[in-house]
Amino acid sequence: MNLIRVSKGHYLPLEGRPATDLDVLPKPSRVAVLPERIPFVKPKLMVKEADAVSIGTPLFHDKRHPRATFLSPGGGVVEAIEFGPRRVIRKIVIRLAETETAAAFPRFAEGDLRQTDRGTLVEALLDGGLWPLLRALPYRDYPDPETEPPAIIVTLADDEPFKPDPAVYLAGRQDLFGYGMQVLARLAPQVFVLAPPNGGGPLQAVDTWITHTVSGPYPALDPGVFVYHTRRSPADNRAWFVSGQDVLLIAALLRDGRYPTERIVALGGPAAGRRRHAAVRMGAPLKPLADLGGEASVRCIVGGVLRGFTGEADGYFGYFETALNLVPAGDHREFMALVRPGYRKATFSRAFLSVLNRDTMPMDCNLHGELRPCVACNACSRVCPVEILPQLTYKSLLADDIEEALAHGLLDCVECGLCSYVCPAKIELCDHLTRAKRRYYQEQTAA
Amino acid sequence: MKHLVQRFFDAQRPHFTEGGRLARLHPFFEAMETVFFAPADTTRIGPHVRDSLDVKRFMALVIVCLLPHLFFGMYNVGYQSLIAVGRAPDFLPACFIGLKVVLPMVIVTYAVGFFWEILFAAVRRHTISEGLFVTCMLFPLTLPPTTPLWQVALGITFGIVIGKEVFGGTGRNFLNPALTGRAFLFFAYPARMSGDAVWIHTGGQAVVDGFTAATPLAVAAAAEPPGPLVETLNGAQYDFWTLFLGRIPGSIGETSTLLCLAGAAVLILMGIASYRTIIGGVIGVLATGWLLNLFASPGGSPWLGISPFHHLAMGGIAFGLAYMATDPVSSPDMEPVRWIYGFLIGALTVMIRVFNPAFPEGAMLSILFMNVFAPLLDHFALKVRLRRRIANT
Repeated sequence: MNLIRVSKGHYLPLEGRPATDLDVLPKPSRVAVLPERIPFVKPKLMVKEADAVSIGTPLFHDKRHPRATFLSPGGGVVEAIEFGPRRVIRKIVIRLAETETAAAFPRFAEGDLRQTDRGTLVEALLDGGLWPLLRALPYRDYPDPETEPPAIIVTLADDEPFKPDPAVYLAGRQDLFGYGMQVLARLAPQVFVLAPPNGGGPLQAVDTWITHTVSGPYPALDPGVFVYHTRRSPADNRAWFVSGQDVLLIAALLRDGRYPTERIVALGGPAAGRRRHAAVRMGAPLKPLADLGGEASVRCIVGGVLRGFTGEADGYFGYFETALNLVPAGDHREFMALVRPGYRKATFSRAFLSVLNRDTMPMDCNLHGELRPCVACNACSRVCPVEILPQLTYKSLLADDIEEALAHGLLDCVECGLCSYVCPAKIELCDHLTRAKRRYYQEQTAA
Repeated sequence: MKHLVQRFFDAQRPHFTEGGRLARLHPFFEAMETVFFAPADTTRIGPHVRDSLDVKRFMALVIVCLLPHLFFGMYNVGYQSLIAVGRAPDFLPACFIGLKVVLPMVIVTYAVGFFWEILFAAVRRHTISEGLFVTCMLFPLTLPPTTPLWQVALGITFGIVIGKEVFGGTGRNFLNPALTGRAFLFFAYPARMSGDAVWIHTGGQAVVDGFTAATPLAVAAAAEPPGPLVETLNGAQYDFWTLFLGRIPGSIGETSTLLCLAGAAVLILMGIASYRTIIGGVIGVLATGWLLNLFASPGGSPWLGISPFHHLAMGGIAFGLAYMATDPVSSPDMEPVRWIYGFLIGALTVMIRVFNPAFPEGAMLSILFMNVFAPLLDHFALKVRLRRRIANT
């Protein structure tokens, strides 16, 4: 097992880490699929409102890769298809039937996997609706089924606050995980499995599969950071990655021939009541978890607090999201904030007394300042895990110099959000970089 | 307390918003209000949580570090003044005289500085950037106490308008605005900015017989060979510890090297100022001073033989390194070259002092000079850095 030490990044001292106890939530009355939250996808609907669907019925496919389908996580009736501005498909809501029917998919015995043709597995994943769980660096779109990657990186844990603990979702499923690893081994010449240090404890069960231990502050466990630290040639930049929990989904589909519908999600954040893990349906509603008790000034963040999106109280989990974090909205004016010593104020800098505080801290969604011109404090350069110089890259993007930005390593950006987090001028650096990356990708694929 | 302040601002707000009499001064209102109440703005896009540090606190910490300089400067101005006119330099009268001299300069600087900043902010429709508060605090501290108020106003005008706003405002200036204003006065009104007559405020009273108001640098520059310079300085009551503590004539805020050291330490500890620039600068002064010592000979220029530590204690280099060279906007962006940047500022300062008889002090010019070269240093540092990177396109 190789040890990789990542020095740059930042450990966010956010309070509200979910405990490792696991609740199984009762079956919801509705589930939903959110095409809007799947990056780059151009959905083409395959169902109408009031259509009857089973678990595993295709709901839409991607116009860019018509073979890539997205399936229904529940059996019942398509109750509503909601559109947003410019006809973007916000969500497809399915009212679940009392007893759900499920579509059947081809099954592969574990012993036969070695002999199975790679193309057959790819087909099975495309038809089974789980191909898009694999994603390709550097743009983090799901990969073109025609291509083959230099490696697949499996990230067991995600150190963004707060994501499910691998010890919880792997408990009792090491065989399934092993099956999934054999599938991945057929898809790419190399499979790397990243784990945090001390994985030997709770992760003992899958120890044989772990290839690299990565230590360091957030986002050390991100596949992009791993590639940045281990690449030997430019070709390595095109590795694919998949999260550990999604390996279980892929394995369940191919082993059992059924579209898997269970996800384990983490519920955390300063405003969360009972912080825990929960087994929910894919596309489950947020409401049973986000019990806000009528308090309006809380933000429901679907995903981690840095990369997640704001969900409405009556919203749903997306295709990729495995966490719900509740953070106070912080929409109040703090009196004399300028002169407070700040023993409980989280910061990357050393400008508050909190440098002496090793404890976790309450945080909210307040911006803690106003937009200002960049004062070249270099905090973003110091925090960037892949050593881009975000402030200089941002300035070259403002000057519309994409070549310069690419030379700085724009495509290495792992979209961790730390540069925006630390910026005292409150410049949305990560958003600028991410959007430039996406624009460049769309130009590349359009050509 | 909170509610009183809240009520005050709520009462004033209608005047400054759309349709009010002072709507154009809205940036000013906002700047004042946010001193007391942090804005309620929340994140619109991810990351959903943000660092507690903002530019306002960043700059406020610099001002806090400058306040001891202001207070000590006031006392010192009064102290030197009382000595000059032959009265007992008691603490309270000294402070009082200093207050009377320095406070109007500070007020004029802030008033004129705010005027320009608000004008540009109103025309460009952006908010007031907090860098202004620091610039306006730094500027009077770099001036001789006898500077007339109209020159103070002119200097800060030049510094803010030509040094900063014409390039697009804070964050885009390549020169330090306070030093730009100071340099303008230095070249436009040399009689008021150098020489032996300007460093002590006498309030029109006659100085006592035999009193000279020359600064240590002037004494050193005028020293005749032979004889070690340190003895000349000691003869003029400028022994090392007096220089270090700062009860000497000079610009208002820069005389005390001790305070500069303390301020630099606080700024480095808080992560506001770059330790690379400051330590690089100190090394630059000491190394160059020591190197020149090797060329000292009994018949040569007395400057060559002075101890490198005297270089640090005299003149404005300590103040310049702690507060001016560390201005992040006009410094290089790349951290490794900040060592070189600081080093060259220190080295150039000593070179100007020793070899250029026209300028007794070189700190201001060397910092401005290196400001101009900062982009070049960045250019090469970036090239070296990117060469190590495996391409990803």
